[in-house]
Amino acid sequence: MVERIGEKRKHKAQGSGIKNYNPLSPYLMLLPATCGLALFVVYPLVYLFRASFTNRSLLKPTAKFVGLENYIELFHSVEFLSVIKNSILYAFLFVSFSIIFALLFAVWLNRPGRIWSFAQSAIFIPYIVSFVTISLVWLWLMDPQVGLLNTLLGAFGVSYPWLSDTKSVIPSLVLVSVWKYVGYYMLLLIAALQNIPRDIYEAVKIDGARARTVFFRITLPLITPSLFFILVVSTTEALRIFDPINIMTQGGPINASSVFVYFIYEYAFKYFRIGYASAAGVILFLIIGVLVGIYFNMLGKRVHYQ
Amino acid sequence: MRGNKSMNIGSKRGAIIINALLLAITIAIFIFPFFWILSNSLKTYDETMQFPPQLLPKTPIFANYKAALDSMPFLLYLKNSIVVVALTLICQFLVIVPAAFAFSLYSFRGKGLLLTLVLFGFMLPQQLTFVPIYLLFGKLKLLNSYSPLVLPFAASSFGIFLLRQYFMGIPTEIIEAGYLDGMNNRQIMMYIMMPMAKSALFSIALVSFITRWNDYFWPLVMTNTQKVRTLPIGIAALRITDGKTEWNVLMAANMLLIVPILAAFSVAHRQIKEALIHSGIK
Amino acid sequence: MRKLGIIILALLATAGPQLFAQTSAKPIAIDFWYSMGGANGALIQSMVKDFNDANKDIIVTATYQGNYYDTSAKIQAAVASNTTPHISMIVDMHNAMFADAGVLENLEPFMKRDKVDINDFIPGLLDWSYYNGKVVALPFNRSTPLFYFNKDQLKAAGLNENGPQTWEELRTYARKLTKKGERWGFSCPIDIWFYLGMVFQNGGEVLSPDGKHSGFNNEIGTKPIYFWREMIDEGIMKLPPGKEYNSWDVAMQDFLNGKVSMIMTSTGYLYGILDSAKGKFNVGTGFLPKSKQYGTPTGGANIAILSGKPAKETEAAWKFVKYMTDTPQVINFSQKSGYMPSRKSAVSSASMQSFFKEKPQFKTAIDQLYEAAKRRPCHPNYPELDKIIMDEIQRTTIDRSYTPEQAMKAIDAAIQRLF
Repeated sequence: MVERIGEKRKHKAQGSGIKNYNPLSPYLMLLPATCGLALFVVYPLVYLFRASFTNRSLLKPTAKFVGLENYIELFHSVEFLSVIKNSILYAFLFVSFSIIFALLFAVWLNRPGRIWSFAQSAIFIPYIVSFVTISLVWLWLMDPQVGLLNTLLGAFGVSYPWLSDTKSVIPSLVLVSVWKYVGYYMLLLIAALQNIPRDIYEAVKIDGARARTVFFRITLPLITPSLFFILVVSTTEALRIFDPINIMTQGGPINASSVFVYFIYEYAFKYFRIGYASAAGVILFLIIGVLVGIYFNMLGKRVHYQ
Repeated sequence: MRGNKSMNIGSKRGAIIINALLLAITIAIFIFPFFWILSNSLKTYDETMQFPPQLLPKTPIFANYKAALDSMPFLLYLKNSIVVVALTLICQFLVIVPAAFAFSLYSFRGKGLLLTLVLFGFMLPQQLTFVPIYLLFGKLKLLNSYSPLVLPFAASSFGIFLLRQYFMGIPTEIIEAGYLDGMNNRQIMMYIMMPMAKSALFSIALVSFITRWNDYFWPLVMTNTQKVRTLPIGIAALRITDGKTEWNVLMAANMLLIVPILAAFSVAHRQIKEALIHSGIK
Repeated sequence: MRKLGIIILALLATAGPQLFAQTSAKPIAIDFWYSMGGANGALIQSMVKDFNDANKDIIVTATYQGNYYDTSAKIQAAVASNTTPHISMIVDMHNAMFADAGVLENLEPFMKRDKVDINDFIPGLLDWSYYNGKVVALPFNRSTPLFYFNKDQLKAAGLNENGPQTWEELRTYARKLTKKGERWGFSCPIDIWFYLGMVFQNGGEVLSPDGKHSGFNNEIGTKPIYFWREMIDEGIMKLPPGKEYNSWDVAMQDFLNGKVSMIMTSTGYLYGILDSAKGKFNVGTGFLPKSKQYGTPTGGANIAILSGKPAKETEAAWKFVKYMTDTPQVINFSQKSGYMPSRKSAVSSASMQSFFKEKPQFKTAIDQLYEAAKRRPCHPNYPELDKIIMDEIQRTTIDRSYTPEQAMKAIDAAIQRLF
């Protein structure tokens, strides 16, 4: 029953069941949402798009059209290329680890009982706390000299540079983000697991299947809708990350953790170059759009619905 | 789920012990940072600076909480946070529900286009959209009211999407049954589908509550006066640049932000679990 | 005739008060944006309240707008949407950009009329006040880097309690004070602020005399980096991790914990450090050590009036700015917050002089400001250059294969592009 974006509803022979409706109804029902989208999604997007072709400064009432200059400058900028690399690396690590851990936790903790329930709640709590708060705490914990993490590691004779080294900064940021979001994804997966009808497992047990095969051949495919949802949401979330970088690293050391939104914010408001920043924003939008498009068109096919 | 039948008693006990250990470590990893915030909120400044870091304060002090409360118009901010969340939830309900019905049940021209626009909502960060939206509200002279803090979030892409998925998962037989009972379209939507969607709605409300409550950036840039500002701004003000930040007071302030939402969560946590289970992305 | 005169007088007598009442009707509402939280934010609010109490015809509303950069972002959005405040704190580096766009009111006519003497302001703090011949902002909360040291540790190592005066002395002191595994002699965030200080100490300027090239694309610019590198390699200098304010926080923490004997950090931390070190150790302060001369950059924010408001409101805004930058308020603000007093008359006042006796460390900072403050170029593109220099010097410290000479070249190229 899944709908592919842009495709007309061709496959459902009997429709959704709803009959005899005033053809205006759907439009009326969508009116508030359309207004909202027009004002707060389409309008900013158009503004962004237009600004990206100018040398716009918010301080001057008019701006000069500069064509593709901003884009050309972006692609020649070592910093921006670094931004693209960092953002994609961060997103890839974040999405992979959060889905893997969410799945592990979901399967492990999906049992009745107070202790399991408590564990689920514990893992979920970071999700409800502000990312600003979380960034502040982890900034502290990750201090290479006085932070608790290295003090603990010190007991084993090791130490890790965490946020202070160009190579470890992105993994450290991923650690914090995964820590924050995994609980929510885990709960979604637990919900999906619990929605699998028991009889499927009963039938398989009779056939004498091994646990691993059951998991990969039966459980996993049945939770693909949730996995897909998490994939989309986590990817878009990861590519739009801002707070931890703003608080913990300010893009450093040496732009090793500069990601799209931070770069855009800096150039727009510290260096007053809204046109340039908008061009970067358009590129970000396109990257996310392409990824989401890929998800829906390629992976959407592999999502199983009951 | 994973069959233990093939293991013997000895390794079963071993498995239990390992399981318990892993569980304890996992729970610790997720709870510890909050314990750290709490602990530091009760320390003196010197204790927070101590090296090696001490787990607990020598004697807990509550002065930090008083300092945090004094540093901002706490009750005003708290009220605004609550009002913004409540208004957002109401507006979202009014916008998302009909939209989700339209997307899931009806066929109409422009459906794909509108759906794509909904998806666009996932692709724009606040730091980018705030300028044009600020200009918009400036022109409408609505800055410094609740409008800019609520309206932009009414057409929540997340909500529309989730609810649409949910409605699409309701079997057509149920709708047919409604017709057989002599109901019209409106009645089917309101009396059959809506009650079934309670948990999906709850799920959406939960996410909205969390994101609106914790949002620092948007209220900061959309408001120029105290009047409608929310809690996170009061806390951000305690992080000093070009000077000493009083980490103990800052942690106390963060506790002030966390406690209400934690309280709400612990009261509702069973419902939340239920909601997430039943809202299942079918 | 006389009767008419009496009637007119009578009319005036009854109508007169009403005429007066109309001119002093509603107080003029003025908005003031500032970027300080915590105790300093509270201080500003109390100063605003004092002003409002003393000036019943004006009511100033001061609102916190986030940190320096959030505030600048908001001012930009406000300009574009015509919702600017009357007055705002503007971080030093951004004054040129706003001035260049013409959104800052020229304060010179006001100052001339009200006899506010620009020469009473400390010259080193006026680097962001002039643009195109106009006075666009006045110094408000300004700071400089300062050299802090642990007097007790220096004494125990047999070193001069006044701290090192030159770079070489800094090196020898750091050597003597370092106890491997326990304590570093010196720590300093690799931050453009301190680096520029060292460039100034080496006799350099940011720009060449013609303003188009780097003023330190030579040994003047590379020597500080080699100096730092050598000390780091020798194990006598600690590199605080992190960037900008995060690393400054760490440097201060280490100093307070006795893990580092000498640090360079902002005067903004002075009060915090003095407070926390009380009872633990004696804090000494000194000029940043000199190479060829003493030199220090400045930082912090100015206060400016935004243009485009009705004359009456601009007048009221000026009254407030005049008040906040007037000597008594400068004294009060400086003493309570630890920011540099912006006026000479404030420094030489009796209140300040006796304050110095209690807090000699503060006096050191001001002496340095007088003697060694150097200006950074007041140019709209300076902020971007600031970041590039920061990236370059950080790179030379983290990536040893990247030479300081390469960094200097890159900086010169950037200056040519931006200025």
